[in-house]
Amino acid sequence: MGSFFRKWWRLLTAILLLSVAIQFFVRPPLALSRADSVHAAGSVVFRPVYATVDYARRGIHTVWSHYIALVEVSRENDRLRREVAALREKIHENRDTLLENRRLRELLHFSEAAERKTIGARVVGHDVSPWFQAVFIDAGIEAGVEPGMAVVTPAGGIGRIHKTYSGLAEVLLLTDGRFAADVIVERSRVRAIAEGMGGNLCRLKYVSPTQDVVAGDRILFSGFDGSMPKGILLGTVVSADRPREGLFQKIKVQTAVNLQAAEEVLVVLSRPSIPFRAGKL
Amino acid sequence: MRQFLVLLAVSYSGAAASVWWLSGFFPWFLLPDFPFLAIVFAGLFMGGPVGFLAAIPPALFRELTVSAPPWTFFLSSMSLYFFSREIGLRMFVRAEYYILTIVVGLLLTESLSIVGLMLVAGSRPFSLLWGAEEAVRIAWTGLLAVPLYMDLSGRWQRVKE
Repeated sequence: MGSFFRKWWRLLTAILLLSVAIQFFVRPPLALSRADSVHAAGSVVFRPVYATVDYARRGIHTVWSHYIALVEVSRENDRLRREVAALREKIHENRDTLLENRRLRELLHFSEAAERKTIGARVVGHDVSPWFQAVFIDAGIEAGVEPGMAVVTPAGGIGRIHKTYSGLAEVLLLTDGRFAADVIVERSRVRAIAEGMGGNLCRLKYVSPTQDVVAGDRILFSGFDGSMPKGILLGTVVSADRPREGLFQKIKVQTAVNLQAAEEVLVVLSRPSIPFRAGKL
Repeated sequence: MRQFLVLLAVSYSGAAASVWWLSGFFPWFLLPDFPFLAIVFAGLFMGGPVGFLAAIPPALFRELTVSAPPWTFFLSSMSLYFFSREIGLRMFVRAEYYILTIVVGLLLTESLSIVGLMLVAGSRPFSLLWGAEEAVRIAWTGLLAVPLYMDLSGRWQRVKE
């Protein structure tokens, strides 16, 4: 028996470590999530690395876009002129709606500032693994950032704070398989659960084949689950299939924001109304 | 063979760096998994307390930079070290094809395990395109391991002597 262990102790240790890792993966222990001093220390070590790499990338990107890629500028200029003309027309159309909206908001004593207190942050790094989709931002505990807070841009949602450190926070992107939030279809007001499915896509779950969802529909966060602010854009439906067998539609949504290319984001500094547990969403 | 692999390594690194710097998009499937290679190298060629200690920094790096539940990547990386050590003690790993097979086999096992665990946990962020990209990453990391390990193992032998 003793010789067996002497011969195979490395393999047995490997299997033991792997078993514990799998256990932690499936059921992350709450105590370990809290006692995160090693992660905090590690984030201090890696923060300058992220900042340096980010600085170098931005420098090269600036040189490219300001000098080398000027060939495209003239073509882009024409396109932008056409877009400006179209947008001016749109502004005239929207003015009445905007004024009406403002009046209604005042009527309902809707305090936008209190509900949407935000801080700006820069994306300084990405998750290096192929399995998870997350980014690191340069705002952490000092700035009042807490796990579970929503991260958005004016163009749409980005994700949710997953872990926070000193001067750094990890954001779980909308497209990560562990992300889920209550959403609503803007046109038909159909409710669903959005779940990340990799790439720039999410899926909508629990939508009955009788409900009205078509390609092109805009999907907004409903705010009912308290995890993401109400009205923030998730994306647009790219396909809605009604399978012959099965209880629900298969709906794919393309995120409004290109999550991998986002550079500046806003963190909504209101605490999630549902208790948040890091590593298990 | 080695010159070809080195040329391939340089071209892939150049492509990955260009995509990242110019577009801001992180092309993970074009980048080799260096921390993984460091842990497997420590297991296959170094061994003993030195190998064990050498495996800790890359395991910590993986733990800190991968958005998995706490400590899962550190523990699985150390498990990878012990698996590699066992293989290193029982196989003749100086042949190029063996190195390629071992690294690709371990990467494939790790990837499939994580995919399996995520599927069991209920998340399915994987697609056909993802599979193709992951195959590129695994093949590319395995190819890079051959010249890298051959060179480094020779140097490590000389240091020991």
